[in-house]
Amino acid sequence: MNTTAEEADDRLRYAEYVLGVLDADARAAVAQEVQSTDEAAAAVALWQRRLMPLAEEIVEVAPARHVWTRIRDLLPLERAASRQPRRELWNNLPLWHWIGIGAGAVAAACVVMLLTYPQQPSAPTAVAAGYMVAALQQDNGVTGWTATMDLQRSRMVVVPATPAALAQGRAAELWLIPAGQKPISVGVITRDKPTTLTLLPALLARLGPTAVLAVTVEPAGGSPTGQPTGPVIAKGAISGSPDAPDRRSAASHNDGHAKRTAA
Amino acid sequence: MSIASPAERDQLNQLLIQTGRNDQRAFAELYNRTSAKLFGVCLRMLRDRGEAEEVLQETYTTVWRRAAAFDAARASAITWLITLSRNKAIDRLRQRREEILDDPSVLDAIVDERPAPATDAQTSQEHLHLQNCLDELEPQQRDSVREAFFTGATYNELAVRCKVPLGTMKSWIRRSLIQLRTCLDQ
Repeated sequence: MNTTAEEADDRLRYAEYVLGVLDADARAAVAQEVQSTDEAAAAVALWQRRLMPLAEEIVEVAPARHVWTRIRDLLPLERAASRQPRRELWNNLPLWHWIGIGAGAVAAACVVMLLTYPQQPSAPTAVAAGYMVAALQQDNGVTGWTATMDLQRSRMVVVPATPAALAQGRAAELWLIPAGQKPISVGVITRDKPTTLTLLPALLARLGPTAVLAVTVEPAGGSPTGQPTGPVIAKGAISGSPDAPDRRSAASHNDGHAKRTAA
Repeated sequence: MSIASPAERDQLNQLLIQTGRNDQRAFAELYNRTSAKLFGVCLRMLRDRGEAEEVLQETYTTVWRRAAAFDAARASAITWLITLSRNKAIDRLRQRREEILDDPSVLDAIVDERPAPATDAQTSQEHLHLQNCLDELEPQQRDSVREAFFTGATYNELAVRCKVPLGTMKSWIRRSLIQLRTCLDQ
């Protein structure tokens, strides 16, 4: 008879974890759970949003200058260390979960990293086998969205980074523009959560390093004409390798994402 | 400018995103703007400057490594940063938990050390909402929740501090959390 109460108590451990009242063992158990399941990560993220405003009451205290000196001294080491971790990061699902990121965003977050290591020319092809990526930059230089194309599954996940605001009743529509050709609509994307779009064969065939993705402002529901009617607010080139053998890790991440978006 | 203002929040989000792209200047600016808050968090929990400095240092080196995983759609940069520093400070507290329990004078000394109340000018809508919900709790329970949040104390430590049985403290906090959830999610 007690099951519901026990279940409720059980779920409270996420709140207790965020509040900070658990002892070392119980805390480690929840931390472990957060790393391994989406449900726990989401529950913890929700409690963080609920309780963290309390931190506004904490009085600021400037740390001594030498703290920054020590941190800064560590940075070059971190930069050097960041040479090898691409795969490691990609595979480190718990890390992304820890901060509450959806599995689909893993790809995009990696992409951001990959695209920002220009000193490593081999980076784009390391994106992950069977995937292509694009960071959609806005005029202010800030990334609005990142798009990850999963060629094997014929779909694209578009994750908002910091998209600019749209006027009421307007929508953001994503277009594929093959070199020298008319734009092809990929679909309407949102500003507040990842959008998963199916890639039709006509689109798939035209993905490549010479094509560009662009976002335009359109009426709610998308362009009525099938061609862009509003201004371009973000765009980016596509990079990545369409053919590479090892797809295992990437595919397993995307399974997680599919669950999430379907929910 | 207060960290609670929406404009400041957006700027911090930007800085953290740029940090994720290995932008060291953005990282330095992020540190300039947030380290005093995070140091306040660590100091409040650890009550020891040296240890708080170590945890702050660990926090920011982790920020540098993990910033690329930050997603502004999920949480604001400041929430992300505070969560990170609290987690590190709490882990540190748990490591030395026994020492603290062995020295009750330390506990007595800190019970009255409440953070200065935030003025309306520097408080966010979210904080006001949370404050209103906390105000609906029984005073003892509200104090326990606040004490837990600010000091990172375990159920056991809170029970000792408030001189109530462990079971009482657990039910106070759990009931409070349930009540807060209901109130906050309205």
